[in-house]
Amino acid sequence: MKLPLISSALSIVLLCFGTIILTPIAVACVEAEYSSIVPFVVASLAAVSLGLLCRWYGRRHRNFDLLRRNEGLLIVTLTWIICGVIGAVPYLFFGLGPVDAMFESVSGITTTGATILVDFSLYSKTFYFWRGLSQWLGGMGIIVLFVAILPQFGVAGRKIFFAEAPGPIEEKITPRITHTAKALWLVYLLLTCLEIIFLSLAGMPILDAICNSFATMAAGGFSPNPQSIMGYGSSAITWIVILFMLLAGSNFALQYRWFIKRYSKALLASEEFRFYLAIVLLFSSALFLVLYFSGPESAITSFRDGLFQIVSIITTTGFSSADFALWTIPAQTLLFTMMLIGGCAGSAGGGIKVVRVLFGFKFLKREIDQLVHPKAVLPIKIDRVTIHDEVQRQMLSFILFYLVLMVFSGLVVTMIEENAIIGFVGTAATIGNVGPGFGEIGPMGSFSHINGVSKILFTVDMLVGRLELIPFLAMLSPEFWHISRRR
Amino acid sequence: MDILLYGTTEISYLIASRLHQQHNITLLHDSEDLHEKFNNLDISIAEGGGGDIAILEQIEAGKAKLFIACSALDEANIVACWTIKKIADVETICFIAKPALFKNFSSSAHNQYQTRYDIDSIIWPEQLLTQDIFRIISVPDALDVEYLAGGKAKLFEYRIRSNSHIINKSLMECNFPADVLIAGITRDDKLFIPDGTTRIQAHDKVFFIGTGVALDSLASDFFRESSEVRTVSIIGGGSVGFMLADKLERRGIKVKLIEHDAERCEYLANSLKKTLVLQGDGTDLELLETEAIAAADVCVCITNNDEKNLLCSLLIKQLGSKRTITRVSNLQNYDLFARVGIDVVVSPKASALAEVLNRIQVHNVDIIALIEGGKGEVLRLTTPTTFKEVKLKEFKFPANAIIGVIVRGHRVLIPDGNTIICPGDRLKIFTMKEDSETIKELFFP
Repeated sequence: MKLPLISSALSIVLLCFGTIILTPIAVACVEAEYSSIVPFVVASLAAVSLGLLCRWYGRRHRNFDLLRRNEGLLIVTLTWIICGVIGAVPYLFFGLGPVDAMFESVSGITTTGATILVDFSLYSKTFYFWRGLSQWLGGMGIIVLFVAILPQFGVAGRKIFFAEAPGPIEEKITPRITHTAKALWLVYLLLTCLEIIFLSLAGMPILDAICNSFATMAAGGFSPNPQSIMGYGSSAITWIVILFMLLAGSNFALQYRWFIKRYSKALLASEEFRFYLAIVLLFSSALFLVLYFSGPESAITSFRDGLFQIVSIITTTGFSSADFALWTIPAQTLLFTMMLIGGCAGSAGGGIKVVRVLFGFKFLKREIDQLVHPKAVLPIKIDRVTIHDEVQRQMLSFILFYLVLMVFSGLVVTMIEENAIIGFVGTAATIGNVGPGFGEIGPMGSFSHINGVSKILFTVDMLVGRLELIPFLAMLSPEFWHISRRR
Repeated sequence: MDILLYGTTEISYLIASRLHQQHNITLLHDSEDLHEKFNNLDISIAEGGGGDIAILEQIEAGKAKLFIACSALDEANIVACWTIKKIADVETICFIAKPALFKNFSSSAHNQYQTRYDIDSIIWPEQLLTQDIFRIISVPDALDVEYLAGGKAKLFEYRIRSNSHIINKSLMECNFPADVLIAGITRDDKLFIPDGTTRIQAHDKVFFIGTGVALDSLASDFFRESSEVRTVSIIGGGSVGFMLADKLERRGIKVKLIEHDAERCEYLANSLKKTLVLQGDGTDLELLETEAIAAADVCVCITNNDEKNLLCSLLIKQLGSKRTITRVSNLQNYDLFARVGIDVVVSPKASALAEVLNRIQVHNVDIIALIEGGKGEVLRLTTPTTFKEVKLKEFKFPANAIIGVIVRGHRVLIPDGNTIICPGDRLKIFTMKEDSETIKELFFP
């Protein structure tokens, strides 16, 4: 592992992110919140100076063509951590402690949407814009963004592109990786603009529409409204958000084929997407029945809230159209199940991912069939294509690692907090990048009251979940850290 | 007619031996050894490659009406067909054994290619065999089925069980439904054409010709045990096994397929959607029992090995299979297989031969089906305009033959004694192989 090479790559990231973080200043000027300009200028200066320092250290290494896999993984991980840290700098100026600021920033950039804010009236609009923007940047993946807009990475782009989102199947919709990255961002941008327009037409203030659209398309969940989507009290807005959450949770590569290439069957032809829709329909009808028979709400409201909440949790957005922390235990259990699934592969959502769950079920079914027919040759197929043994093993070990990490982190937090709900639901909500949990940390509550150590653990969970474990797991190996000092 | 054959494969011998007495056949073969048996045929033999224009001109290939390329090598066949087209406008038939090549030629996209392939017809024996087996399977309980007149009429073969109530009745007493004819009976391996006084005996194989509806009522009245085919076991996952499983699963039939090669199993399991692919040997009794192979409505043994097919079918028969269909590669084994109690014996060569004979049109006559490995034939011919109208019972056939179906315009008639034959009628005539020439001469003196 060559430190100067990594430092050189990071310098590009830092300089770029240092520029992007100046964007909220435009909002500050429009909204005449001049005091909010300083935090972003300071953050930008910090990023740029650190970037220049890294650039100087790695001055001899400008060619990334020989980047090795380990280095790629480390660059990706460090990029996310650095963006989290730089993104936290402005929060410090708004009165948040370092741990809280880091939690909020990582929660934003990893599109989790868990917040430590209690009183939403204390902060400026620029503050909320930055929260939304950080989610939007993280939604499609920061690395994807850099590969799309920065030509410097060249060949290495391919390696770090797949290191960031190591979905089960490598998917390139165009032969060249920069084109793929651009195509994905194009779809993402178009959908975001559409949602902003729809939400404005439905009567949402323009800045709120922008922030909420950023949070929806990123499957994030930071809303400038303290009561999330419920706070707008509009049925139309709820339905619009349901639609766009659903899209944010499905594969963007397929949506590219659908919208841009006009291949109308692209989405429904995918077995993963059909399974995703089936889960949403099945669980939202179950939730509808539970809500309708246990609560005072009308059938239409129960159906809408049920669907909204299922979609919001399975896509790992974490918006709420009702305070689900107050719902009955069966209803909460249904939601908790959704936390374990997550969005489709190649979407903005986190979690285990629908395709791995689908594979898991097929794997179990295969085992049963094999018991009955010991000599049968039974391949596991998704989209009529057989999954290779190696990919099968990767997917299974992913599910296993995910559950092991979740249990481990859940147990530790439970001990610290002396509360199993916060421990396990909180872990599931953070490692799955969902956001709010149940009880104190529910959609109307906040993570601010929990212990600092728990906050740090949750912060790590969010990053690990967002990077789909693989880079994190690689770093557990001592071999990974073999650093070569040769220049 | 002058026919030019290329290649010295088994099928080439079959075609030559079948046609050498009626047609002028020239056999072109590469320099490899020529089997002795070809010398016993009344044909002229030339040595040289099919792609060699000099040789083709030397043997006056341009005079031939039909060129059949049936050497063992696909590519050589294709090149030979192209080459002969360069020197003369000859109808070409090309034998193919690779699935990918067959797809190239037969796909509907064929005509959109930059340049056409320029081959008149393609024969892939295994594909024809698949079609034949599929046809036999999709009509339950019948041993063999042929479709006539585009499916409006059918030829069924039934084996008479020893407990059937029509045993020892003459055909007139049986009261078969209208629109059904008994065209032939195989008894003790001999095919003959019965008349009204013939008595049916146990284990006879009886050929019925009729319309679909009438045959259905025949099946329900006389062969009541019949039921729809829901499950099929296939032993042997070669090209035929693969294509057959694919066709069957599209029909919604549950298929179990046994193949011994692990790699081929992978391929089959990956390519087929619902078929249960089992890795193992078709003669492994334990596997056959645990997977209840014999319990399927139909069992098909189609490995490449005749001996193995025979053993498998006998094992499965022993385990209580209702119907077995077995592939035989060597036509000499054909009779043996049928004699030891296998219900249906099929052969890619017989299928291919029928197809070739079908393409050789003489006097508007077509052979549209071969019965009992070629002992019987169903001829298709159109009565000439000079033909005088005559009632069927007054029409004297000089040989054993029976008119099974009359197609007049869009109508399909199953004739009885009072039916009048008109000029322009398209007739399907069931006859014995040795009588087919006599029948043709009767209509085209």
